Amino acid sequence: MYGNLLDALPAVLSFGNLAAVVIGVLSGICIGALPGLSATMAISVLIPFTFGMDPLVALGMMAGIYNGAMYGGSIPAVLLRIPGTPAAVATSFDGYPMAQQGRGGYALQVAVVSSAIGGIVSALVLMLLAPPLAQVTLLFGPAEIFWVAVFGMSAIVFLLGGDVIKGLISATFGVFVSIIGIDSITGYDRYTFGHLELLDGINIVVLLVGLYALPPAIALLEEVQDFDTSNTGRLNTVSIWKAIPGMLKYWKTWLRSSVIGVFVGILPGAGGSMAAFLSYNEARRASSNPDEWGKGEPEGVAASETSNNADTASALIPALTLGIPGTAVAAVMLGGLLIHGLQPGPMLFRDNPQIVFGFMWQFLFAAILLIALGGALATNTFARVLRLPRPLLGALIIALVFIGVYSINNRMFDVYLMLGFGAIGYFMDKLKFPLPPVVLGLILGGFAEQNLRLALRIGGGDWSILATSVTAKIIIALTLFVVVYPLISRWLRSRKSTPA
Amino acid sequence: MKLKALGIAAALCFSCFAASAALADYPEKRINLIVGFAAGGGTDVMARTTAPFIEKYLGDDATVVVRNMPGASGQIGVTAVAEAAPDGYTIGTYNLPGMMARTQDRDADYSADSFTYLANIVNDPNVIVTPRSSDIDTMDKLVAAAKQRDGGVTVAMSSLGGDDHFFLQRVSEVTDAEYTIVPFSGSAPARSALMGGHVTMGIINLSEVVNFRDELNVLGIATRERADMADDIPTFVEQGYDLVSGALRGFVAPADLPDDVRDSLLSAFEQTFEDSEFQQAMRRSGNPTELALGDDFRQLNAEQLELAERVWANDPWK
Repeated sequence: MYGNLLDALPAVLSFGNLAAVVIGVLSGICIGALPGLSATMAISVLIPFTFGMDPLVALGMMAGIYNGAMYGGSIPAVLLRIPGTPAAVATSFDGYPMAQQGRGGYALQVAVVSSAIGGIVSALVLMLLAPPLAQVTLLFGPAEIFWVAVFGMSAIVFLLGGDVIKGLISATFGVFVSIIGIDSITGYDRYTFGHLELLDGINIVVLLVGLYALPPAIALLEEVQDFDTSNTGRLNTVSIWKAIPGMLKYWKTWLRSSVIGVFVGILPGAGGSMAAFLSYNEARRASSNPDEWGKGEPEGVAASETSNNADTASALIPALTLGIPGTAVAAVMLGGLLIHGLQPGPMLFRDNPQIVFGFMWQFLFAAILLIALGGALATNTFARVLRLPRPLLGALIIALVFIGVYSINNRMFDVYLMLGFGAIGYFMDKLKFPLPPVVLGLILGGFAEQNLRLALRIGGGDWSILATSVTAKIIIALTLFVVVYPLISRWLRSRKSTPA
Repeated sequence: MKLKALGIAAALCFSCFAASAALADYPEKRINLIVGFAAGGGTDVMARTTAPFIEKYLGDDATVVVRNMPGASGQIGVTAVAEAAPDGYTIGTYNLPGMMARTQDRDADYSADSFTYLANIVNDPNVIVTPRSSDIDTMDKLVAAAKQRDGGVTVAMSSLGGDDHFFLQRVSEVTDAEYTIVPFSGSAPARSALMGGHVTMGIINLSEVVNFRDELNVLGIATRERADMADDIPTFVEQGYDLVSGALRGFVAPADLPDDVRDSLLSAFEQTFEDSEFQQAMRRSGNPTELALGDDFRQLNAEQLELAERVWANDPWK
C-alpha cells in the first residue's frame, strides 16, 4: 500500500497536475471568500468540464478548490462577519471582534496557518490510515450516529449567547427548518405546501446566506454617509513567515481541532460546520480564559479553521472506501470520480492506485500551498476589497449571493427562499436573537431525527437499541461528561470558596 | 374581411410549410437534455456519457446541452420535459419505476401519456445482500430467518417508492414472509450499514455491489439470466424464486413528437447503443446496459406503472 503511495508521486509532480492544484487553491480561496459561492457549487460547476480532462488534472483542481474554499470562507467571516461557507460560522465568533480591534490581518494569518495545518494533518491521515479508519466508520450505525448528533448539540450551550431563551428560540427555529421536506422514513411531505422545490428540504447555503449575508449587506447600504473604513479596512503588514513563530503557542488547539476535524470527517453526513462548532467549543472549554472568547481570542479562530480544513481529506475516507461522503463537497467529488470511471469501494485502491494515491498527494500539496498562496497573496488582495465604498460593497455582496444561491439548483425558487430568510435574519439581528444556534439546529436537527428513527426501526421500536453497542455507550458517556462537567466544576469551585 | 381571412390562411399555410421544412432539417439548433439530478450523480453521468454519441449520430453538427434541474428525486426535471414544446429540442432523462411511482404517491403534473418514449438504456438489476459476518448467506436461510423472526428481518434500502422498495414487496409475496423496511437516504449509506452489520439484509443494485464483493454476501440477482458484470452471482429464478427487477434509466421527450423527429432520435439512440465505445464508457461508469427502444420502452413503462399501481393499492408506503 505505501509502495503505491510513492509510485503515484511522480505523476502528481508533473507541471500540468501541479498547476491544476495551484489554480484550484487560488480559485477556491476566491470562491470561499465570496458569500453565497461554496466549494460544493464550484466543484459541481467544474464537473461537466472535467469530462475530457486527464483525471489527475480534474481531481487536483477539486482538491485545491476544496482546501482553498475552506480557508477562503474565513476571510469575509473575519472582515465582515459574513461567513463565506457554512463551516466558517464559528470563525466569525472571534475573527470579527479581532477585525474590529484592528487585528483583522493577524486573524486571517492565524486562519490561513491553522487551515493549512488542519489540511495537512487530514491529508496525511487519508494517505496513511484510510483503510483502518473506514472500519471505524462502519462501527457507526444509525444509533451511534444519533448520539454523535446529540454530542454535537451539546455545543449549543456556548452558542446561545447572553439571553438563553432567545438562544433556544433560535435553535428551535433551526430544527424546525430541518423538518421541512419529505420525511424519508414514512414518505410524507412536511411543510412543503405542495412545492416540489421544498421536497428535498432547505439547503444549508440558502439559509446561511439569507441569515448571515443579506442583513450585513443591507447594513452596508444603510451606511451611505459613513465612508470610514478605518479599522476593518487596514490590515497589518507583518509577513506571514514572521507571524508564524508567534502562533506556535496554539499547538494544542491545532492538535485537538485536527483530531476533531478528522473524526467528524469520517462520520457520514455531518461535515465541516459541525467540526468547527465542536472544536471551537472544546478549545474554549480547555482554555484558561474562556471569558475572553467571543471577544477576539485568536485561539478561537485557530480552533475553527483547523478543524474545518481537517475534515476535508478525511471526509474522503468513507467517500472513497465506502461511497458515503462525509461532507456535501465530498459527495460532489464522488461524482467527479465517477465521471472518470472511478467507482468508490475497496477495489478502487487496487484498480486505480495511480489516481487514488495521486489524488491524496494533491490534497497534501493543496494544504501546503495554502500558506503561500493564501497567506502571501490572497489575504491582502481581499483586504483591499474592504476599502470599497460601503454601499458598493453591499450591492456587490447582494449580486453575488443571488448568483450563488441560484446556481445551487439552477432555480429562482431558492433565491426567493433566501430573501425570506434574509428578512428573518434582519429582524433577528435587530431583536438580538443569536444566529449560530439556527445553523446548528438545521445541521444537526434533521441528522439526529433521521438516525434516531432509523435506529428505532432497526430495533423494532425498542429504545434499548440506542445504547446496545460499545460505541454508543462511549459516545453517551462523552456527552454526559461534556454536559455535566461544567456544572460539577462550578459546584466544586463554589464549595471551595464558601468555607473561606 | 374575406381578404384578411385569406391572408391568415395563407400565413398559417406558410408557417406550416416553414415548420415542416424546419423539421426536415432537424436538428437545426441545440438540443437541451434535462437531467433531473445534480451533476455527477448516476443519472447525470449516464446523460453526459450518452450526449456526445447522440450528437455524432444525429449528424449535422448537432449539439446536445445537458441542463441539471435537480430536486424532488427527479420529479422537477421530468415535469419540465413533460411540459416542454414537443419539437425535439427538449429531451430528458427518465428513471423507472421512480417516475411512475411519483404519479401514485404525489400530485404529479404528468402521467404516462405525457412522454414520447425514446430509449431506455440502463437496467441495473436488484441484488439481495447480507453482511459478510452474517450466517445468512443463501436465499433459503434468509427466508427461514424471515419466517421465524416475523418482521424481525430488517432491510436496508435507498428510499421509499423506488425499485428496491417494489422489489421487496415482490420478495415478501414470493417468500410469504414479513420484512421491516429501513429506508436510508441513498444506497451507499444503506450499504455501509450492512457492512457494519447494523441491519440483517439489504436490497441494492448490481452496480453498487460489484466493488464490494469481498465485504458482502450476495444472495442473488433479479435477472432472467446471469449478468455479464458478475456471472458468479446466481439468479433468483434459478434458485426457485420468481424475482426479476431493476432500476431503469433512459431518455424521453414530450408527448406528440413529430414522427420524423422521433425517427431521427430513435435511430440516433439505436446507433449509440450499438457503438462499442459507448458500451465501454457505460461499463467504465458501472452502468449495466439493456436497450428498450421506442414502443418497447413505452411497453416497459406501462408494466412499471402497473407494478407501482398494484403496490400502491395493496400496501401504500405513506
